[in-house]
Amino acid sequence: MTTASIKNTEQYNYDVIRKFAIMTLVWGVVGMLAGVYIASELAFPVLNFDNPYITFGRLRPVHTGTVIFGFGGSALFATSYYIVQRTCQARLFSNGLASFTFWGWQAIIVLAALGNVMGYSQGREYAEMEWPIDLLIEVVWIAYLVLFVATLMKRKQPHIYVANWFYLAFILATALLHTFNNLAVPVSLFSMKSYSLFSGAQDAMTQWWYGHNAVGFFLTAAFLGMMYYFVPKQAGRPIYSYRLSVLHFWALVFLYMWAGAHHLHWTAIPDWTSTLAATFSIMLLLPSWGGMVNGILTLSGAWDKMRTDPIIRFLIVSLSFYGMSTFEGPIMSLKDVNALSHYTDWTIGHVHSGALGWVAMVTFGSFYHMVPKLWNTQMYSNRLINIHFWLATIGILLYITAMWISGIMAGLMWRAFDDFGNLQYAFIEAVAAAHNLYVMRAVGGLFFLSGIVLMSYNMYKTIKSGTTEQA
Amino acid sequence: MEWLMWFTKFENTKPVSLVIFFGLFCGVLVYLYGSKQRGQQLESFKNIPLQDDDI
Amino acid sequence: MKHDNIERNVGILIILTMLAISAGGLVEIVPLFFIKETVEKVEGVHPYSPLEIRGRDIYIREGCYLCHSQMIRPFRDEALRYGHYSLAAESKYDHPFQWGSKRTGPDLARVGGKYSNDWHTQHLTAPRSLVPQSVMPNYPWLVKTDLDYSDIQGRMKALRATGVPYSISQAEFDKNVKEFGADVAKNLHIPDAEKNLLAQAQAGNYDTNPDKLTETDALVAYLQLLGTMVDFKKYDDDYFGKFR
Repeated sequence: MTTASIKNTEQYNYDVIRKFAIMTLVWGVVGMLAGVYIASELAFPVLNFDNPYITFGRLRPVHTGTVIFGFGGSALFATSYYIVQRTCQARLFSNGLASFTFWGWQAIIVLAALGNVMGYSQGREYAEMEWPIDLLIEVVWIAYLVLFVATLMKRKQPHIYVANWFYLAFILATALLHTFNNLAVPVSLFSMKSYSLFSGAQDAMTQWWYGHNAVGFFLTAAFLGMMYYFVPKQAGRPIYSYRLSVLHFWALVFLYMWAGAHHLHWTAIPDWTSTLAATFSIMLLLPSWGGMVNGILTLSGAWDKMRTDPIIRFLIVSLSFYGMSTFEGPIMSLKDVNALSHYTDWTIGHVHSGALGWVAMVTFGSFYHMVPKLWNTQMYSNRLINIHFWLATIGILLYITAMWISGIMAGLMWRAFDDFGNLQYAFIEAVAAAHNLYVMRAVGGLFFLSGIVLMSYNMYKTIKSGTTEQA
Repeated sequence: MEWLMWFTKFENTKPVSLVIFFGLFCGVLVYLYGSKQRGQQLESFKNIPLQDDDI
Repeated sequence: MKHDNIERNVGILIILTMLAISAGGLVEIVPLFFIKETVEKVEGVHPYSPLEIRGRDIYIREGCYLCHSQMIRPFRDEALRYGHYSLAAESKYDHPFQWGSKRTGPDLARVGGKYSNDWHTQHLTAPRSLVPQSVMPNYPWLVKTDLDYSDIQGRMKALRATGVPYSISQAEFDKNVKEFGADVAKNLHIPDAEKNLLAQAQAGNYDTNPDKLTETDALVAYLQLLGTMVDFKKYDDDYFGKFR
């Protein structure tokens, strides 16, 4: 009990942040390992080993779930608690609630992965978790919202710093999306199986409204919040323009929700929804680039830091990938481009240039800044950070190049006609043509994975040398 | 719920969303850049993350 | 006074954010639940039989939708490769929809009737024995695992709760006979689910082993139905255009 009472006298609750930070790395390694494995299965199907639990179809939700919600989610919990406390100069509203969000969230990730491996699936991408896990997510998420808002309300700083706006929007939007996309009727109280409330075209619209905005708010808005704190911190200079951050915040949260239907171009939904979504997707380029420009220009006048500080390099390269993938996205949402790119690996490449290039890189940069502060120490090795940077960058480039080529190639092969007006290629010829590129993709993933393993080692050494006592 | 049908016509939704979006956008722009004094005050908030080490 | 003001600011931020993020979803999704034109008026689409429900469950369990789409787009190459483009009506009883987002393997929206039961059973067990360059996993356990249909009535009741017209009473059954015809309506009657499931598996002999009721029976029954419900010869080319 003495330790607990000492902790309560601390200015900030760092304990829960430390726990989330460690689990971010654990889930990052697990999720990316699953990713490399399923990528290898596509290159060498023998790796499925005739074992139901590790076939591609069951491991892929394990990969997406642990990476998005385990790695990304834990990173967001950690950084949001860090930022909200420090920019409000207020301790988290409740230790108990904070602890509950930690254990609740970890239980969700474990249960979801186990459920996927055992074949419990709602059959909805990125929302494969069955209904009991969905209910648990709902409860933990409401606790998170209450804790975050209550902490904002007891702040000593009169103004709410803009990073917190992004986190707040992320928490609210995720609650909304999760609730409506997972409406389902269970077979019975003791059955893991349920059937979605909606069907067909309505169900498709609901799912991709969810899928697109999970990217928009979970993987973009929240990580922009991370960016708005850690880029100025690490650069030692304030953000380029505060007014631009306010402007692009409102534009981003408003525009994102309209664009989901671009995942359903040329399908059996009404044309007007599809056209509307494409229009808003193009407009979305502006606030996205507003954020990127704001982040990168923070460094203006201190560009030499790009050379000398590997953490800044992580952050700035992440913003560049953010800019690139938010340019690629609107292009792919044009109906004519989408006719070629949809159903192909191009989409997979696009997702990963965002997920690896932006989400993971900005997390790495932020963690290299934050973790030493949490343990009152310095990073164990700057050289390892540098090596991590290059492993990650090479990995991403291999990955997205392979997917661009195989995606565009498949799209072109599917629609190729011979001189007599017959299809030129059988479907399987496009599959066979992708083999080498699938190998290249798996190698790219391996590079990225070894980067995060190296980071984990570096962090382990750092944490061991640090202390949780307040200086 | 019949009134919702009105929104299903693209020729209706297009100008409406344009008006709503553009109006709000102009409002935010005026708020942010309309007054020099407010602008300076807003820009002063960007130092919040950099001040937190002193406390 | 000042403190009040600050608290109100968080509230205002929450309210404005909620308004901003709700607009898009409301305008794009809500109307789809109210306009009739979203779903084409077409004959032949009916809910799945008990055996096909179990087959679809297995399709979802194994994550087939992660590599196979069920949504043919209105392009010339897709018409040649897969058949007539998919209609919204064809998935109106699909809880959840399985349109998919990736074609690592080919589209399956109209795979029904294209290959024999024999072919499917062999292909599910060892895809590369038929298509050497395929990257699909082997699913040898499907043909070895007995089909569990103990809670089939519970599954049909859950689907019924979402709005699929499975019948319990005689009146509902009669209504289904009128709408779907006697042969289909028989399979939609929940009290006879087990009987119908066994009868369909026996008659169809989907896994080519008449002595055993396996998961392959259910999955192949589902695959063989895909895309076969609408007879496109009955409609001229322009008919479906007006619903889009």
